[in-house]
Amino acid sequence: MTERAPDTLFCLHFLGGSARTWTPLAEALAGTMRVVPLDLPGFGDAREEGGYSVDAMADRIAAAIAAQSGPYRLAGHSMGAKVALILARRAEDGDPNLAGLSGLVLVSGSPPSPEPIPDDRRSQMLSWIDADPETRAREARTFVRANVGGSLPSDFENLATDDVLRAAPAAWKAWLNAGADEDLCRRVGVLRTPALVFAGSEDADLGPDAQAALTLPHLAHGHLVTVDGVGHLLPLEQPDALARAILDHVAKPREPRAAPPAIPPGYADLIASDRVNSRLRSALNERAAADDPAYTPQALDPVELAILRAVFARVLPVAGLDVAARVDARLATGRGDGWRFMALPADDKAYRAALRTLDAAARAAHERPFVVLAGDRQDALLTLAQKGELTVPPSLGGRLDADRMRFWFEDARADAARLYLSHPAALARLGFSGIGAGGDSPAPIAQGLPGFANTSLDTPEPWEPKPWEPGPWKTLAEESAR
Amino acid sequence: MNLDTMRIHSEDETVDAVVIGTGAGGAPVLAILAAAGLKVVALEAGPNFTPETFAFDETLADEIYWTEERLSGGSTPEAFGGNNSGTGVGGSMLHWGAFVPRADARDLRLHTESGEGVDWPISHDALRPFYERVEAFLGVSGPRSYPWDAERRYPLPPVRRNGPAELMAGACKAQGIRWADAPAAVVSRDFKSEGGPMRQGCINCGFCHQGCRTGAKASMDVTYLPLAVSHGAEIRPESFAHGFERDRDGRIAAVLYTKDGRERRQRCRAVFLCAGAVETPRLLLHTGLANGSGQVGRNYMGHVATQVWGTFDHEVRMNRGYPSSLITEDFIRPKDADFAGGYLIQSLGVVPVTFANAVARGRGLWGQPLLDYLGRYNHLAGIGINGETLPCDANVLTLSDETDARGMRKARIDFGYSTNENRLNVHATKVMRDLWEAAGATDIWVLERVAHTLGTCRMGHDGDMAVVDPHGRSFEIDNLWISDGSTFPSSLAANPALTIMALALRTAERFLALGR
Repeated sequence: MTERAPDTLFCLHFLGGSARTWTPLAEALAGTMRVVPLDLPGFGDAREEGGYSVDAMADRIAAAIAAQSGPYRLAGHSMGAKVALILARRAEDGDPNLAGLSGLVLVSGSPPSPEPIPDDRRSQMLSWIDADPETRAREARTFVRANVGGSLPSDFENLATDDVLRAAPAAWKAWLNAGADEDLCRRVGVLRTPALVFAGSEDADLGPDAQAALTLPHLAHGHLVTVDGVGHLLPLEQPDALARAILDHVAKPREPRAAPPAIPPGYADLIASDRVNSRLRSALNERAAADDPAYTPQALDPVELAILRAVFARVLPVAGLDVAARVDARLATGRGDGWRFMALPADDKAYRAALRTLDAAARAAHERPFVVLAGDRQDALLTLAQKGELTVPPSLGGRLDADRMRFWFEDARADAARLYLSHPAALARLGFSGIGAGGDSPAPIAQGLPGFANTSLDTPEPWEPKPWEPGPWKTLAEESAR
Repeated sequence: MNLDTMRIHSEDETVDAVVIGTGAGGAPVLAILAAAGLKVVALEAGPNFTPETFAFDETLADEIYWTEERLSGGSTPEAFGGNNSGTGVGGSMLHWGAFVPRADARDLRLHTESGEGVDWPISHDALRPFYERVEAFLGVSGPRSYPWDAERRYPLPPVRRNGPAELMAGACKAQGIRWADAPAAVVSRDFKSEGGPMRQGCINCGFCHQGCRTGAKASMDVTYLPLAVSHGAEIRPESFAHGFERDRDGRIAAVLYTKDGRERRQRCRAVFLCAGAVETPRLLLHTGLANGSGQVGRNYMGHVATQVWGTFDHEVRMNRGYPSSLITEDFIRPKDADFAGGYLIQSLGVVPVTFANAVARGRGLWGQPLLDYLGRYNHLAGIGINGETLPCDANVLTLSDETDARGMRKARIDFGYSTNENRLNVHATKVMRDLWEAAGATDIWVLERVAHTLGTCRMGHDGDMAVVDPHGRSFEIDNLWISDGSTFPSSLAANPALTIMALALRTAERFLALGR
């Protein structure tokens, strides 16, 4: 076993690429980071090797990583990113061979969900890989050119074209027919590993929108960088920019997340006082605890959780309170509130179908996923849902009709509002005194509890809290303006 | 409640009666039968809570609501769970509002009066003594004189008025409408029901719907159930009844139930089904019993329970005090009505989560407007009605094709307003808006709402048209009795619990009078 330098970067290439794809980046990072590019089965020097599923590819890479020790980062480009995400999942799950993973660099990554590649493009790519050498040579070059934003230097283009032609056609087809379609969304779950996500502004299928909708939901500490003018082949198109961004990110301290809603001191004193029942005090403290940024959804999948977070950011614009995660946790218990609209399926199914419908509506109206739409556009879609006018045909991904979307959005608003007002910071914002009506009594049928001596209008008791102004926490808008 | 020293009956022993459900319908029956020396066992689906668990919080109170899923359809889908259905020893009475108007005599003769709805098969005169007994036993607080019933007297002085009540009183005065302190089954001073614990006067905490920590509210677990247990009744918590065993004559010989994951069987001479207007018909439909009339599940009713909300300059702090401390019955028969029956109006204080739920659903607010509006909580107050709903063919409880975790089909409830309810609602909404304007409210809005669960096993004189006779006894199975809101032939304008308890006493005493 050889010793790894502390900043080793293992690199996994795109479909048709090879370890050589990373040579320009390695040169750009020379002296700062040790770059170890690896060939995936069926590509580059590993073209004779089999095992084309995402897991099989990950196995090969895991073996290479295990051969060295020490902390490391993992970069994956397109197809390689999906492999990197599975490796990160294995590392976080405690695979000893993968210990030491300190960061992910995902470049134009193929997401854990089935890749959004149009059928015609897929068929086209499958059509020539087994053709005669002349056709292959022509199409391989066309493929490379179609995947860049501007144009590559001729030596890079020649190298990339040559790599495509070197690839085992079986591996190429296996990715297009199976690997890209593997649904690893729940399996990858939500990763804690810090991640830098790159997208080329000119990338047709895996640009910034796709990364925001399908990759970032898996990354508790993910940061999206869009590179203008770049297509799908960033490591070849702008290796220097990629290197700079990686080094910047490594040097920069992690962005702080929104703190959980703070309890104003006066209200915290009330909670701590003997006016508050002990069981209630514990519950309030529990509800005030920070949400786990890497919360792994149980009822929804991570992509759906991201859509729900976007919905709740509009419905309940309060920073630092992950209402979506709390709703998901409730959905996962299967415990509801005792009824549901007959028109809707079971709560968890209704949420999933509604969120997918909302996303489909965003794509139908704006050709963009819901999570990246500007707030006013998100609001417009939610308003249509509220009015019972959000219609998305099933052919475009609609799963609930307009009436059902209206029922679901009513349920979702209520779920959010109920969770909000169970939070002590929200109660403080109201100046709600009810928590102080009780206290503890040793008697089974309580005696001597304080309650309220005054119940008339305009007769606050001295201990009753005033509404906390302007509010105990920043709204999301204030938080993002910071 | 404390069940440590209660008498335990063997499952092999044939007890005189099994009572299914321990709420307003079951608890009084259990007490009356036990006091008469009968061997009685109550099966309660929910756990046995002690008041120590009631913690002045809405979310923690979820455990006392019946949260097994029901499917709500129809044009006015009704919310269940915390809105009207409870679980635990004491049933829905653990979270009831304790607002106890008596039914108006005219409501029991609605068909004779208006040609609409149905008449009850019992007279108000027959019911009155039972009302009086329940009020005296529970310790109902109310006004010294009741404007709409000169002879009525309440055992305890009224509970304190709160902010919304003061606002409503002022508005009623301005509009020439009579009002009174609400009759409330909440003791305004220290009180002890026969056989029950000493309960201190209400501390005005405002959490009636979350379980009363002090016992001031007359839940069954501090009133009829302790009396029952003191006379030898047994209460089995977490016992879900799901079937019956019948003898050769078709009479019920045993109740089948699940407890601690085990199937059990209690032999008995009679059964009182007191599971409420959803679970009672569900169990009968599930077992296929007592439905020769085809009426089981039919004529489901929820009350028209529309509310009007407004913002006041006053610091209202509506969470303080008994939530519904003022009433007017001036609209039980409005002079200008274009509908049959009428409604009562009550003042409303609501705790935050319940209120936020209503605002998000009913007012449809979200985003910053939602946060801003909820932020005015301490300046908000409401009024609401409880209004007559006529029985209607379209409103029906059936079994869904979906099953619960036990494999039992879920209840499906189709409910919608018809012309009469819609007209009543329009009338009431205008009256309430006018009142709130007179009270000085701004930003007035209307919350459409349906409350309570009634009907589905109606009582009547004719076994072809009704499930039970006027005393609650099944026409088909003579040792099966029903005592809960399911037997109501029409909804009445009054909130139902007091009437359910009064009928329960009457049913139990009839059973005793017949010599079992």
